[in-house]
Amino acid sequence: MIQLFLIAARNLKRSWFRTTFTVAGCAVALLAFVMLRTVLSAWNVGAEHAAQDRLGTRHKVTFIMPLPKRYIDDVRQVPGVKQATFANWFGAKIPTQPDEFFANFAVESKTYFDVYDEMIVSPEDKARWLADKKGAIVGHVLAKKMGWKIGDKVVLEGTIYPGDWEFNIDGIYKASKKSMDDSQLVFHWDYLNDALTGEQKDMIGWVSSRVTDTSRSGEISREIDRIFDERDTQTVTMSERAMNVSFMAGFSALLTALEVVSVIILGIMLLVLGNTIAMGVRERTKEYAVLRAIGFEPWHVRFFVIAEAATLGIVSGVVGVGIAYPFVNNMVGRAIEENMGGMFPYFRVEPNTALLAVAIAIALAAFASLIPSIQAGRVSVTDALRRVG
Amino acid sequence: MSTESTNERTSKPNAEAKAMQSDVPEQYRKNATPERGKAIIELSGVTKTFFRGKEPLTVLDGLSLSIEEGGFEALMGPSGSGKSTLLNLIAGLDRPTSGKAIIAGNDIGAMSDGELAKFRARHIGFIFQSYNLMPVLTARENVELPLLLTKLSSTERRKRAETALRVTGLENRMDHYPRQLSGGQEQRVAIARAIVHDPTILVCDEPTGDLDRKSADDILELLTTILMVTHDPAAADRATITRHLNKGRLE
Repeated sequence: MIQLFLIAARNLKRSWFRTTFTVAGCAVALLAFVMLRTVLSAWNVGAEHAAQDRLGTRHKVTFIMPLPKRYIDDVRQVPGVKQATFANWFGAKIPTQPDEFFANFAVESKTYFDVYDEMIVSPEDKARWLADKKGAIVGHVLAKKMGWKIGDKVVLEGTIYPGDWEFNIDGIYKASKKSMDDSQLVFHWDYLNDALTGEQKDMIGWVSSRVTDTSRSGEISREIDRIFDERDTQTVTMSERAMNVSFMAGFSALLTALEVVSVIILGIMLLVLGNTIAMGVRERTKEYAVLRAIGFEPWHVRFFVIAEAATLGIVSGVVGVGIAYPFVNNMVGRAIEENMGGMFPYFRVEPNTALLAVAIAIALAAFASLIPSIQAGRVSVTDALRRVG
Repeated sequence: MSTESTNERTSKPNAEAKAMQSDVPEQYRKNATPERGKAIIELSGVTKTFFRGKEPLTVLDGLSLSIEEGGFEALMGPSGSGKSTLLNLIAGLDRPTSGKAIIAGNDIGAMSDGELAKFRARHIGFIFQSYNLMPVLTARENVELPLLLTKLSSTERRKRAETALRVTGLENRMDHYPRQLSGGQEQRVAIARAIVHDPTILVCDEPTGDLDRKSADDILELLTTILMVTHDPAAADRATITRHLNKGRLE
């Protein structure tokens, strides 16, 4: 069987032109498929890699409505809550580069990096930041992109909180988990709050807390929300993963569309492969007849056709993934992580996606060869030899 | 029923052919162990009818024929006389519409497609008019093809293929692809492929077209029971018996 497979595989050398173009066509289709799958998996990274023991508490109506700051004290009193911190979405931009998006938060200085311990900050940077009211800590990707270094002064233009806000870059963090965006800027909530008056003062965006026992997350979430049930502002508490999933649910139509497009791409690939295989079978009718004449059985001939197609699938899959891997991981992925880090903090081809692409290429090629292989197995030996001999 | 009008000749192998036979393994020597007088091909009242739409076309008409083991017979006749159809029946590529076709002890008409394939693999060697070599395989690999259906090891297959190629004088062309060979060399590869599995019967469709006369004689001397379709009187001249077919009947 191995010998037959090797012979069948060598048929691909007959028409380099056709084989090359078929492989190229399939490789491009696979590249598109891998990129779409990577978008989908990158979209889910936040949910899949969310901390198991972290809960988020937000306003019951919507996450853009604030909570009173005093809620943090109540949350900390709930049995099972190990640590808690809070943050506000600041939403400022660089005045000279208004299209350059990056997440920026006002955070509780003393606790934030304990709750978000996947943001790795050196003790020196952290100490410098804690001592500096205008201090900010930025992700290393953002710092590299903007050319910021420790000691720099940065001015951001507020959108939610109008005015120019001056910051000192006191430290740079690096994420230890791929779900964490490396392009954030965080600063002291006190710096923000001290500048606010009226209804905006002493308000926070959300509370993040860590629990001692992840198996009790649901129970603790309900307990937190129960505390605020009778107050003016009610809350919704859920695990970070559930929060991410509910956020992504808003994009379900887009994700479904991407799934559909990836299936259409595979359909096109199937047609390309089927056409090439059918052409090869038509051209080799005489050879199949000769094989039958010298004693090969119909299943041998079918095997020949399927083996040749499977080889085409293997080559296409390896070439496609071979192109997609460096293209996404070293070029597109890096650009997306740097420019759209908030949405795609980790945009890389997962090994499973690469394996899936190769497996699909082989399966599609084998499937595309089914009908041609049946036809080849049914070839009339005497007719085929008479027709072309 | 047919009448057997034969043109019997005495085979006189030349000195080179004799010398060649002494150099080659037993299995490739002409009539190595033939049972003289025993019929290897027996056709009795064989009819073959094809249909073009609903219109029947009888190509072989009650044909009877007996060929002894070790014989070398040529089939001649005009186009459409039924030569190829008869060759296909004897080779187990087709079944008779009626009548009996016993080839190497097998009733062709009673065999399934799978049994016919195994029959061909075991008993029949083909030499096609247009060689029909696989262009992506070397001469040796082409010759090895029929042996892939056996349980021989790869070493043994290779050894046998090389022997068959040596027998046909292609020991220096084993790793050449068909495109790198002349027409005559291609046909020698086809002959080597036909004899490599030591078939009971060799069926040849105009096998000597591109071979020079001497080479053709040398090779034909090595073959066992042979049935050859040819339009070439010179090629038929080398057969011990020449049969003429016309309108589906032997003359």
